[in-house]
Amino acid sequence: MFRFIAADLKRNLAGAAIVALIIALATALGVAVTLQERALRLGSARAASAFDLVIGAPGSETQLVLSSVFLQAAPLPLVPGTVLSGLARDPRVAWAAPIGFGDFAGDSPIVGTTAELVAGMGGVSEGQVFSKLGEALVGALADHKIGDAITPLHGRLGEGGHAHAEARYTVVGRLKPTGTPWDHAVLVPIEAVWAIHEHHDEDEEEHEGAEHHEEEEHEHHLDFSRPIDPAALSAPEAPGLPAILVKPKTFADAYKLRMEYRTDRTLAVFPGEVLTRLYGTLGDARRVLTAVAAGAQGLVAASILLVVVVHILQRRRQIGALRAFGAPRGVVFSIVFLETFAVIGVGVLAGFGLGWLAARSISSILTEESGIAMPVVFTAEDWLAALALLAATVVIAAIPSALAYRQSPAEALRG
Amino acid sequence: MIDLAIRDLVVAFKGLERPALSIPELAITPGERIAVTGPSGCGKTTFVNMVTGLSKPPRGAVSWDSIDLASLSEPGRDRWRAQTIGLVMQNFHLFPGLSAIDNVLLPQRLTALKLAHGHREEAARLLSRVGIERLDQPIETLSRGQMQRVAVARALARRPAVIVADEPTASLDADAGAAVADLLLELAEETGVTLIVASHERRLIDRMKRVIRLENGLVVRDGTSSTARPQFEDA
Repeated sequence: MFRFIAADLKRNLAGAAIVALIIALATALGVAVTLQERALRLGSARAASAFDLVIGAPGSETQLVLSSVFLQAAPLPLVPGTVLSGLARDPRVAWAAPIGFGDFAGDSPIVGTTAELVAGMGGVSEGQVFSKLGEALVGALADHKIGDAITPLHGRLGEGGHAHAEARYTVVGRLKPTGTPWDHAVLVPIEAVWAIHEHHDEDEEEHEGAEHHEEEEHEHHLDFSRPIDPAALSAPEAPGLPAILVKPKTFADAYKLRMEYRTDRTLAVFPGEVLTRLYGTLGDARRVLTAVAAGAQGLVAASILLVVVVHILQRRRQIGALRAFGAPRGVVFSIVFLETFAVIGVGVLAGFGLGWLAARSISSILTEESGIAMPVVFTAEDWLAALALLAATVVIAAIPSALAYRQSPAEALRG
Repeated sequence: MIDLAIRDLVVAFKGLERPALSIPELAITPGERIAVTGPSGCGKTTFVNMVTGLSKPPRGAVSWDSIDLASLSEPGRDRWRAQTIGLVMQNFHLFPGLSAIDNVLLPQRLTALKLAHGHREEAARLLSRVGIERLDQPIETLSRGQMQRVAVARALARRPAVIVADEPTASLDADAGAAVADLLLELAEETGVTLIVASHERRLIDRMKRVIRLENGLVVRDGTSSTARPQFEDA
């Protein structure tokens, strides 16, 4: 019986392969949608997991999370510098670190922060943490090497940014991989960011006011060789900050802090919570895409069923002949069933493989662009879906098999 | 060896005034060589379907020895046919993609999980007996005459008591047809099986000892080929 099935499939190899391919593509569509949505969700959730509580100025919560966790540059309103010093003194806070952005090194965002945040994100894998204003750390996936010099650009090159020609950082260390957009970032002391922009603003004023200015004055403002002064953060005249990352000591502290810092001057958010809201939207999109994929699968199932039934009807004489030679009806049923099931089953399995590959390649492109590691993983849910598809396959394969089962052996003699 | 007794067989199809086949009484003794003939639509195919159990006799009895096919279920008839009847058909019904010997062994393989001991050797012997030298030759590369000879080997592979051939030479040229006719008769002689051939070809009919002529579903002549001969005109 198996020899007969093998010979039959081999003879109809092209047709069987095309049917399997169509099924594979339809299956892959559904699988890819599910896997990709999950990868986005898991990836962004993992990226946000290091960020317990983010405090910024009142405005869009989503934008605050996108800018701080995912480093999507956007002009954010600033919180007064005193908020950071207040948090630093708060006993419920393990550590609080500023996140200041706006400059770029190539396509890598430059983030001004402190050593505490570096430690909070896992520390460095090589080199050391910055100790002077002119020192920088690079993310695990950033293009720069230790020892490289980095000239910050205000804004991106392609977007009309201009160089802070006077400033120059030297890379002294590399961060451990985090699977977040921070892997592409360049981290510098927040003081350096302040110094550059302070200097920059003055520079522009000078341009407007007086024609001449002294080189030495710049040197005075931009002394990048001086060590970091932690006290600068808590100085009363400390500049405003776009966002502050806070590590609360306990769960309860986190909730208390969030409540306290939701005022008319500050906004406190749990990035995880904001993401959950975003996932709601993402989930809606997935449901639509899943429905489209299911529709496609249904249409494919219907047309495949038609093809198989027509094929069986065309071969009714041959099937009758099998019966005429004494093959029991059960064997005839089994032959048609196994052949159909094998072709569809191969298609479904290949579809899972294809869908996985598609989600993998889409994810790797997205990871390349965003730095967010996107895990493409199957879960128990998928195996249930696979079982459901196989169950549907059983039903579909049973229909032509039943036709063959009812085939009269007398057909063999006609014509 | 077994004998056939048909009694009060009536096969009628919906929408037809006359029964397709009506045989009040007919007996065939073991080892007979019988031609069933008649113009097209005379009931030959229905006759073959009835005596092989491909269809269930709707009225009357078709009994091989003590087994009345009308009383058997469909699976029962399948089992009985597999054990009793060797079929040779006009369109061969060999299965492409399988070799000559695999085609001969296919009926056995489809009814049992494992080939019984000696079946392969028997199939090889039969193939060489019918003049097929290469056992593993793909069936689709054979000539039509060779194909029908493989089909004859397949019909004999399970040592049936009866060979039923439905227009075995109709789709062959004269030489190949004569070779197949020779084979059928020789093998029937060697094995002692009953041979029933439904055919309208005179060369084949003339070589049978007994000729049953059907017209409009009725037996209009049943006798030796010499007495029956004047009845035939080549179509």
